[in-house]
Amino acid sequence: MNNKRFVAFVIKLILFTLVGSFFAWSFKSGYYQLIIDDSEGFLFLLKQHINMVLLSSLLAILLAIPMGILVTRPKFQRLQWLFMNTANLGQTIPSLAILALAMTWMGIGFKPAVFALFLYSLLPILRNTVAGIKSIDPDLLDAAKGIGYTPAQILLKIELPNAAYPIMAGIRTAVVINIGTAALAYLVGGGGLGDWIFTGIMMRDNSYLLSGAIPVTLLALLADQLVRLIEKLVISKGLRQTVTISD
Amino acid sequence: MKKILSFAVIITLMLSLLSACSSEEDTSASASDKTLVVGAKNFTEQFVLSKILAIYLKENGFEVEEKNNMASQVVRQALENKQVDLYWEYTGTSLVNYNKLDPLSDSLEAYEKVKEVDKDNGLVWLDQSQLNNTYTLMMREEKAKELGIETISDLAAYLNDGNKLSLGADAEFATRPDGIKGVEKEYGFKFGSSNIKKMDVGLFYQALRDGQVDVATGFSTDSRIKAFNLINLEDDKSFFPAYNAGITVHEKSLEKYPELEELLKPLAEKINTETMTELNYQVDIEEKSETEVARKWLTDNGLIEE
Repeated sequence: MNNKRFVAFVIKLILFTLVGSFFAWSFKSGYYQLIIDDSEGFLFLLKQHINMVLLSSLLAILLAIPMGILVTRPKFQRLQWLFMNTANLGQTIPSLAILALAMTWMGIGFKPAVFALFLYSLLPILRNTVAGIKSIDPDLLDAAKGIGYTPAQILLKIELPNAAYPIMAGIRTAVVINIGTAALAYLVGGGGLGDWIFTGIMMRDNSYLLSGAIPVTLLALLADQLVRLIEKLVISKGLRQTVTISD
Repeated sequence: MKKILSFAVIITLMLSLLSACSSEEDTSASASDKTLVVGAKNFTEQFVLSKILAIYLKENGFEVEEKNNMASQVVRQALENKQVDLYWEYTGTSLVNYNKLDPLSDSLEAYEKVKEVDKDNGLVWLDQSQLNNTYTLMMREEKAKELGIETISDLAAYLNDGNKLSLGADAEFATRPDGIKGVEKEYGFKFGSSNIKKMDVGLFYQALRDGQVDVATGFSTDSRIKAFNLINLEDDKSFFPAYNAGITVHEKSLEKYPELEELLKPLAEKINTETMTELNYQVDIEEKSETEVARKWLTDNGLIEE
């Protein structure tokens, strides 16, 4: 065990040094100068990017969690496959195609981008909600019924708290993927930092590429930490230990 | 109709993406030892031109591999690295974008200049064609009339009065020195970064038609300008340089197949701005395939057998 930890530590160290030296090199080469030179443009794109991700993730969370709860109720359990498959579609169609399809109905700009990202975020949240609720020990539910809990009480006091960890993990996955995918919004005129990434590709200009790509990466890391923090606040201490999902 | 059109655009977009992905090295079929890689940029005209080139070469005994849908800088880089042997380039693009020289609005002068400077880059320009596909700024006809804008100077004056208009452009035009930045500098105005909506090449014609942007960049040979009731704003300061198309070849490829020079002459001779606009119309508006259009043009001109 100690040995393993040591190896992990060394690998981490090497990785961090590599990442660190990459940053030092790219800073020195002036690849981020653009962020300073065109800070107005940068902030504008950053704001667009964040707005897109926030709105689409929020919509996905608001729809997927209730949907997940609904299809795990005994009455609707038979419809589960239908919902899951529909949400699955959102992920199996390439994000680029969803974007293109959304564009046919909604025109060009912010709207189709948000819609495509929303569809793309639905599945991870829905799947984890369903899996989380289903993984609860039936004895626990029986006990709850035995002491006279109503279905609503079971949901709020037993099911949701116990499934909170997987649900939050789903949200984390969705948000992090969402931030990266949002870079494609450029293609339909949705804006965001993808504008600079694509400019970098088209112009073969690394300062555009990195000034767009690195902030997106940092944004994803930041969002990941943020959701982790929320996770800590939402999930009660006792439950955090019992449910272990490797990530 | 609107939906069908935009759907067609998407399908071509996806197909061209697909074809770009699938055109990986195909070393298995080396039946003919005369092989050439033909490149193309990422818009209709380039697809048609490269198809013409590819079909013509195939009919003349070459094994042709096509690499489509690259951004200007990318296909040029590919040519310099000899990952592509030849493709259609525009004089203005080479002059301003690759060689960082001042734009020249005289066609012949521009051609002589790029021929000279690209020689040092190991590239050869074959004959220049009469096809001049320059950039334009477009507006909806009624909107332009309503605002009294006919020239880019009018547009500059209108914006400098404190009015706001949004511009649709692709990332390339929004960044190139002969693109929007150059126009803004030459005419002394600014759209402002929040008013520039960047999107994939070719979408801005529809965006403009549907009123999602007020001004858009366009290519002068694009048939959608007429079909969508758009007008080109007059470039009254002659800012946009000449963009005459010519086939650029890597010098090593030409050394290997010197016959290319004579062989490809008729292509450059027969293509001009009007023909190209017509061919673009057949693809973009009549929704014919690029291959069909290219083949028909070649047979109509007696360049290949039916």
